[in-house]
Amino acid sequence: MTSRRDFLWQISAMALVASSVSSLRSWAQAPTPTIDVPGEDGLIVRSFRFVDLETPVEYFNTWLTPVPRFFVRNHMHEPNELDAATWRLTIAGEVEKPLTLSLTDLAKLESHSVVNTLECAGNGRGFYRPQVPGIQWQKGAVSTARFSGPRLRGLLEHADVKASGKHVMFRGLDEVPGRVPLFIRSIPIEKALDSDTLIATHMTGAPLTKHHGFPARALVPGWIGAASCKWLTEIKVLDSEFVGNFMSPGYRLPNQPVKPGDAVKPEDMHPVTGLNVKSLIAGPADGSRIKPGRILVHGVAWAGEADVAKVEISTDGGTSWKPTTLGQERARYAWRLWRHELTAKPGEYSILSRATDSQGRVQPDTAVWNPSGYLYNAIDQVKIHVA
Amino acid sequence: MWRKENMWRQPPSAVRTGRTQRSVIWLAIAIGVGIAICPARSVGQSGVSKLTENLPAGTMQQKATTACTECHEARIILQQRLSKAAWTKEVDKMIKWGAVVDANDHDALVDYLSTNFGVDEPAYQPLRSAITATKKNPSK
Repeated sequence: MTSRRDFLWQISAMALVASSVSSLRSWAQAPTPTIDVPGEDGLIVRSFRFVDLETPVEYFNTWLTPVPRFFVRNHMHEPNELDAATWRLTIAGEVEKPLTLSLTDLAKLESHSVVNTLECAGNGRGFYRPQVPGIQWQKGAVSTARFSGPRLRGLLEHADVKASGKHVMFRGLDEVPGRVPLFIRSIPIEKALDSDTLIATHMTGAPLTKHHGFPARALVPGWIGAASCKWLTEIKVLDSEFVGNFMSPGYRLPNQPVKPGDAVKPEDMHPVTGLNVKSLIAGPADGSRIKPGRILVHGVAWAGEADVAKVEISTDGGTSWKPTTLGQERARYAWRLWRHELTAKPGEYSILSRATDSQGRVQPDTAVWNPSGYLYNAIDQVKIHVA
Repeated sequence: MWRKENMWRQPPSAVRTGRTQRSVIWLAIAIGVGIAICPARSVGQSGVSKLTENLPAGTMQQKATTACTECHEARIILQQRLSKAAWTKEVDKMIKWGAVVDANDHDALVDYLSTNFGVDEPAYQPLRSAITATKKNPSK
């Protein structure tokens, strides 16, 4: 029979063990510090002010990226105040009939939807050597959503573009600190008149959030994210490409390949437009430890204005490649999910993924270095330990 | 990891019984003392970190903070790994864009940035944003 003294020992022991185990648990599982960015979940904080958030690759397991997991790119501060009731969009320049539209006016126009993979031109900049200045994005300044809103073409037809109208300029309501140039860029009239270029007011069924350009943004599908100007307030039809920092020297690529590290004059460069062919491995996670047997390798692949033709993986350093299965969900400007099941014995593995597109472009071993670190698309790689 | 999790979830009575109780108590006391003397973490119990970062210590810390973080936070600098030539170009661009840097401080500022954020420095480790919106319904 248990004595009173033994009983007290047992109770104390239980309490101590319980409290120690509980302390140990909370110590072992002490939360990794995070930053509260309302509405943006589990994203990599490249910068809080201004807001630049990268989507971790493990989230790339759905065709459409949930909005709270959709990467955020800002060049400067988001507009402080945005009142949907007083917001206006003007269309002027080389047009016969300048227009001013309210959000209610836009809502009355026929809405068109485009599933688009939006990628920042600088996605992967952090991998270039020598390093180049700018947000050091790694893999996740890319996401996919269904964007909806009236076609830009409809508005331009209504405004009646003159024959002299060759480029279409977008100005957003970004708040510019110091003497930083305004974020203004232009696209050629042909792309502006494409039936899939939108004035988007919605993203995957809901009005745009502030981080994504509420109340309206341009959506230039298949092109670098910078073409899709957020918080859009002015559209101007021009007779030539807009002259400004974000057209030149910003967002330009060398006409000829250059030696990594070399400076290039803006006149020897051209504007970045469509996205490269590229695939990413979403799982297994780089550095993970996995049991031997069947391992699902999966990810995403996109090619801007082209279609993804195939995605292959290699586990022997690129000597041989195995085809993967592309997902059923597809749209002209959207990425494809892909998957492949491997059978792995214990050991160290390096898994490579490589996409090829309908234009014959193939993801290269090494991305083409350029002074601003744009369009990085080298073959993706993860290393895993099977044991 | 999940196996350990399951073990911790067992009721205390199932962890140890019988004659090993006293050694368990001493072990528990030792663990408790060990935890108590561990250095405090730099973040609060909630794990929420501060929104913006600071620039590193140095004679130019204050002047760099004034010149740069007027427009953007320090993280944008902390993640760069650039040569002295590239830092010079960046500083000159930022002065053109409104950063207030006394001409006498220009070279010291470039030195400060290229010393702390040179090409050979280890990579900056970014934090993540907290998960709140998709916790209940990940499809949203």
